[in-house]
Amino acid sequence: MKTYDDPELQAIAVKLTSDDPGIRRVAVMDLVDSGEPEAVELVIHALNDPDTNVRQEAAKVVDEFEAADMADALIAALGDNDEVVRNSAAHALADLKDPAAGEPLLKALDNSTDAFVVSGILRALKPLRLAGAQSPALKCLSDGDPRVRREAVAVLGWLKQTENLPALVETAQRDEDPEVRRAATGALVYASPQQVGQALIGLLQDGHWQVRCEAANSIGKLNHQAAVQPLMDATKDQLWQVREKAVDALGKLGSTDSIPVLGECSKDAMSNLRKAAIGALGAIAHSDCRPFVEIAMDDPDPDVRKLARWAMSKLDAAA
Amino acid sequence: MKINDIPVIETDILVIGGGTAGPMAAVTAKEQNPDLNVMLLEKANVKRSGAISMGMDGLNNAVVPGHATPEQYVKEITIANDGVVHQPALMAYATRSFPMIEKLDSWGVHFQKDETGDYDMKKVHHLGTYVLPMPEGHNVKKILYRRLRRNRVQIENRFTATRLLKDPDGNIAGMIGVNTRTAEPIIIRAKAVIMATGAAGRLGLPTSGYLFGTYENPANNGDGHAMAYHVGADLANLECFQVNPLLKDYNGPACAYVTGPLGGFTSNAFGERFIECDYWSGQMMLEFFKELESGTGPVFLKLDHLAEETIEEIETVLHTNERPSRGRFHEGRDVNYRQRMVEMHISEVGFCSGHSASGVWTDETGATTVPGLYCAGDMASVAHNYMLGAFVYGQICGESAVEFAKDRGEPKLDEDFIKQELERIQAPMKVADGIPPEQMEYKVRRLVNDYLQPPKVTKKMEIGLERILAVRADVGQLCARDPHELLRAMEVQSIIDCAEMAARASLYRTESRWGLYHYRVDYPEQNDAEWFYHSRLFKDENGQMASGKRPIADYLVSLGEEKDAYRKMRVQKAANG
Amino acid sequence: MPIANHHSSVPVIVDEDKCIADKGCTVCIDVCPLDVLWINEATGKAHMKYDECWYCMPCEADCPTDAVTVNIPYLLR
Ligand SMILES: Cc1cc2nc3c(=O)[nH]c(=O)nc-3n(C[C@H](O)[C@H](O)[C@H](O)COP(=O)(O)OP(=O)(O)OC[C@H]3O[C@@H](n4cnc5c(N)ncnc54)[C@H](O)[C@@H]3O)c2cc1C
Ligand code: SF4
Ligand code: SF4
Repeated sequence: MKTYDDPELQAIAVKLTSDDPGIRRVAVMDLVDSGEPEAVELVIHALNDPDTNVRQEAAKVVDEFEAADMADALIAALGDNDEVVRNSAAHALADLKDPAAGEPLLKALDNSTDAFVVSGILRALKPLRLAGAQSPALKCLSDGDPRVRREAVAVLGWLKQTENLPALVETAQRDEDPEVRRAATGALVYASPQQVGQALIGLLQDGHWQVRCEAANSIGKLNHQAAVQPLMDATKDQLWQVREKAVDALGKLGSTDSIPVLGECSKDAMSNLRKAAIGALGAIAHSDCRPFVEIAMDDPDPDVRKLARWAMSKLDAAA
Repeated sequence: MKINDIPVIETDILVIGGGTAGPMAAVTAKEQNPDLNVMLLEKANVKRSGAISMGMDGLNNAVVPGHATPEQYVKEITIANDGVVHQPALMAYATRSFPMIEKLDSWGVHFQKDETGDYDMKKVHHLGTYVLPMPEGHNVKKILYRRLRRNRVQIENRFTATRLLKDPDGNIAGMIGVNTRTAEPIIIRAKAVIMATGAAGRLGLPTSGYLFGTYENPANNGDGHAMAYHVGADLANLECFQVNPLLKDYNGPACAYVTGPLGGFTSNAFGERFIECDYWSGQMMLEFFKELESGTGPVFLKLDHLAEETIEEIETVLHTNERPSRGRFHEGRDVNYRQRMVEMHISEVGFCSGHSASGVWTDETGATTVPGLYCAGDMASVAHNYMLGAFVYGQICGESAVEFAKDRGEPKLDEDFIKQELERIQAPMKVADGIPPEQMEYKVRRLVNDYLQPPKVTKKMEIGLERILAVRADVGQLCARDPHELLRAMEVQSIIDCAEMAARASLYRTESRWGLYHYRVDYPEQNDAEWFYHSRLFKDENGQMASGKRPIADYLVSLGEEKDAYRKMRVQKAANG
Repeated sequence: MPIANHHSSVPVIVDEDKCIADKGCTVCIDVCPLDVLWINEATGKAHMKYDECWYCMPCEADCPTDAVTVNIPYLLR
């Protein structure tokens, strides 16, 4: 066995050769306090320990070290037969954010089929924004496992490449898993309204409320002017959460056409919706908004009144 | 060198307190100059110490380009603090806040991002957007620890600092402290010292009567405030107490910043919003307090109108980060966010600039009034700093301290003072039949509640001060049976110092300001003609606690119309209240 | 003045069958910000020695064998 100059690290290394897995396990925990770069080698060693508990412990401490030094070991650990080990390795990998880890990650992606492993690698690739991740991510959009598809969406969203938009739109519209559809809907905001506007309008009718919220949100972020009417329809959604997001988006779009509908919402029983409506009317700041804002000045809810006062000052400034 | 047979430890830069600001200061000093000896001394263990021991669920005050400007931030914090702020210090924070987020992000701290990787800012206030959630923020301490080891900062855990040292010219020279497990004293000589010992959180007594059931991490008991006072540094605006909204009895924060963007809110007994004020401020706390006492009280956290998916999201964040025992607390009382509003209350009082504005006076370089002594985080006087401010000022102090230490020779130590302090440290273990620290602490904190808690009344505060001084006279009877009790005995002496400071500072400012924080019933008005100043508290030439005024530095950002917008918000009476 | 000992029910429980302090583990004792956990001389296992808990939970979260349970202190329950 290798010997180390640092006496504390050497003591740990000795304990790691103990026959008692309990002692090996405690030794792994002690590694965390070592400032020696070589401690990483011992962590990697422990990741391959025959005892599950020791491997779990090693996996738990990996995020205390610079993960770049052990990218390979972590990727290998993604295939461990123990769930705890796999999970920690995936998390540590995601924190890598080191371009040097990109190549090994991509290679591992190529060789992996297990859904857990694949989604872990995708999560690690996401913040690196590597061009090389594009084609495997596109392929993963049709994976059978929703966890993989969800992470693939994120990789593509972070890449912000125009050519991936059709695939993301397709996913947003057709994926069977609502969380995947929601993520894809949120990812479309790097496009121009011409490219994705029509799709987003369609998504305002999705069967799952969180997708509908996300669609309204994305429309607002993109300032998609052609969506005023569909958003006005969405202010009649069954769920107040969707109505609130639609109202927010209408405020961002700023069209005077939406004033009557927003005025309706400003009288709703749900105070969160009234609040959003007055906020939107203030953002539009057209004289037609004034009657609604005036009523809201005496709203029973102080948050609505606060916004009404703000909206009034915007109206006064615009007048 | 040895004093009383105790070896003097030498370092270039000493950082006291390894919570949030402290590790950042130590790492920064090393980044500036890897050849310097940098020591980080911590009462607990830096792995899990301080306010963020279990992580944090969001930034309350992130100034991110495209969402808010530094000018806007400075303006709003000025207004929230009724004008009494040092704007250059706020501006230094505001301009460094975004680069700090980027630095933490590159270190692996998880901030919430949208599906394209941009920061997912949330609007909670009406005028600016400052909240950046961190639903997976539980790894902050791990990341700091990794950085400390990587930069080879020397860490000394389980030592509590008790006094700072000065050289004959009045410059900082180091500190004395004691090991919390062995009672062995430690003497450290340093060319520059950074203190980051957090809030004075064990000042008021929680309504449960449990000494350690505080809002703040109870290891933060005001040692830093007391040490700064004794070494001759100015403290500022201590009468601006910290009082925070909390879950009743649990002492976990109310989490308006977590639940607000998702549709939850603070309500009265009828499920209605009542808070008029738009800023986290004493004004807001005054409204909270009045509602608690009113016929529509008490106050609740209302989430029962939210969708199942949203509640699950809230539970995941609240029950895994920051104060994770919250879920267990609710379970014990059969409270489920889906079915019932959660009762809230207000916290005990404390000193904390993270949430309010009081502390050891520090300027925009982190400097105190003692040359070579720097302060960061909840104990320094920069208003509304929160976690990100602790990081930014940790960084600023790290830079300033390196600069100060650069050409400095070995500071001279005052041996007589050190011997006296060693005696003070050793005294409680020599008393056999005395008063246990716990009892003395309960007594002084109960006095703080009875006499100093706002609404403040002059006569009551005078009685309170007299009674606190009477407890101080008992300090010689403090007894400790083991090193752990000695730690508590040293802490209670800081608590008594802070209680006296709280009383004197509150009596000094004869006006009301900062809403509930300094609400004096017999001086109900804000009086700008006489009190548009920072109040000072310091040790005078005779060793007495003294007060004074410090002029407010010229504003960098004038308040303009938004000041009026704010005024309007506060005069309006709740229409249904 | 004479001093009496008084009982109090402490919130943190250590499952002695799971605790591996005898193998050298001191994790919970190391991380506790209030330094209230110690090795019990009689059993060689960790226990709560002082009733001064902030129910912050690093002891429970970091214990390798899930031996620690943090309850809410009785006064707040
Ligand atoms: C429950 C809670 C929730 C919060 N939520 C948020 C939030 O959501 N967002 C946000 O931005 N901010 C939040 N804050 C505020 C934020 O956490 C603090 O402002 C920040 O962490 C303070 O950092 P600090 O370095 O000043 O203090 P700390 O991190 O508390 O560090 C102080 C350190 O000093 C040590 N110490 C004390 N005395 C001595 C001594 N005598 N000798 C040696 N060491 C000593 C302590 O052990 C501790 O480790 C919250 C705070 C609390 C308590
Ligand atoms: S952390 Fe767990 S195993 Fe280790 S000493 Fe504490 S209770 Fe025992
Ligand atoms: S919950 Fe916190 S204070 Fe209580 S024993 Fe565990 S670590 Fe210590």
